[in-house]
Amino acid sequence: MKEYDAIQEWFSGTPGGRGAAIRRGFSLMDFAQKYLGTFALAALVSVALVPATAAQGFKRPAPTAADWSALAKLPDFTGVWEVPMGGPSRSGGSRGTSGFPPQPRLSLTPEYAAKVKALEAKHAEDTGSANCLPPGMPGIMGEPYPMEFLLTPGQVTIVIEAFSMVRHIYTDGRPMPADPDPSFFGTSIGHWDGDTLVVESESFSPLTTIDQRTPHSDKMKILERFQLTDPDTMSIETTVTDPEALTEPYVTHRILKRHRSWTIDEYICEENNRNSVDANGKAGIDLTPPQSPDSSSK
Amino acid sequence: MNRALRQAVLAMLALGIFVSAANIAIAHHGYAVFNTSTQATVSGTVKQFVWMNPHTWLWLNVQNSQGGVDVWGFEGMSPNFLGRRGWTRTSLKPGDQVTITFYPFKSPSQKGGAFLTAKRPNGEELKMFLGDDAATDK
Repeated sequence: MKEYDAIQEWFSGTPGGRGAAIRRGFSLMDFAQKYLGTFALAALVSVALVPATAAQGFKRPAPTAADWSALAKLPDFTGVWEVPMGGPSRSGGSRGTSGFPPQPRLSLTPEYAAKVKALEAKHAEDTGSANCLPPGMPGIMGEPYPMEFLLTPGQVTIVIEAFSMVRHIYTDGRPMPADPDPSFFGTSIGHWDGDTLVVESESFSPLTTIDQRTPHSDKMKILERFQLTDPDTMSIETTVTDPEALTEPYVTHRILKRHRSWTIDEYICEENNRNSVDANGKAGIDLTPPQSPDSSSK
Repeated sequence: MNRALRQAVLAMLALGIFVSAANIAIAHHGYAVFNTSTQATVSGTVKQFVWMNPHTWLWLNVQNSQGGVDVWGFEGMSPNFLGRRGWTRTSLKPGDQVTITFYPFKSPSQKGGAFLTAKRPNGEELKMFLGDDAATDK
């Protein structure tokens, strides 16, 4: 029975279950009205509403063997990926081999254009990353270091080598919390749209920026679409919207290549950071030679 | 254009792209302390090559005009970056004779700069940036 399979998918917790059901034109309400009485429908609705009102306490059911095997049906995102660094293409193409295509300019509201202008007038020589403050979203996804994707039931985890960071993307059907605390990477809720992982993120720390220098409002949202364009190539389309800062969505693309033989290395920025930037934006560097070769060379 | 000149132009082009990219992505910081409009070279003996994040640091003993030795510092790419591009923590060892090409610090009192290449007396050259993507599946 088609409807039964669909509702099994819906409730199984398998990522993509809902998308697959919707693609087949299946209506949960149709099914419920046809096969369940009013009482059962009310129970169903209340079950459906509970997670929405208690998102903070969302409790993921223990994964079953079926949940684990369902992962095999998803596109294979596993492994270590990196945006290729590259100079001019050997074949003469102007874009070269770099996985960073030219990025569009931000289209700022007058208010934020003025903010950016005021920041530029300070002529800061550097950003907080000189002091080892990691970038937030979306910048952390554009670092020249690899990322590892881990798929487990109800979650995609991205282990980012730069600054040894981790992103958690929940694909277990939980709703976006009503008012998540601001954070560097935001709160990320994902779902599978066919073979594309779609991730919505909200609530970002004011310490993070849209690009290198553009601040955002507390209404910034980021939509990412991850897909494989060939077996070892991943495309990430990132759309930043912010009704206070941007007059139109800021859409960027990155291409990542998979390296099956790579592993993620440790990156502790504070290990031997000699760069700095002070409160006035003045960049500095510490040139004190190490005292003992034995103690500071690993 | 002869081959050597073409290669030189391509290398400069590649370097230029990396340096502009360096400002936005490669380094964990901006290049404000370096003068990227000029390259300098200096020869000396490796005191220490520090293989640590967020940057490798080469400390070089350089003879000064007073007959003494100054220690120069060169900030290189991270071990994570270089380790995927042919370098190891022992690529440069104490005692190695090398000529370093670098972007000097803007401050004249600071000796050293941003590490670009190291050349050994036998002609072998180690490069921080290789133009086309040189990340290898080792």
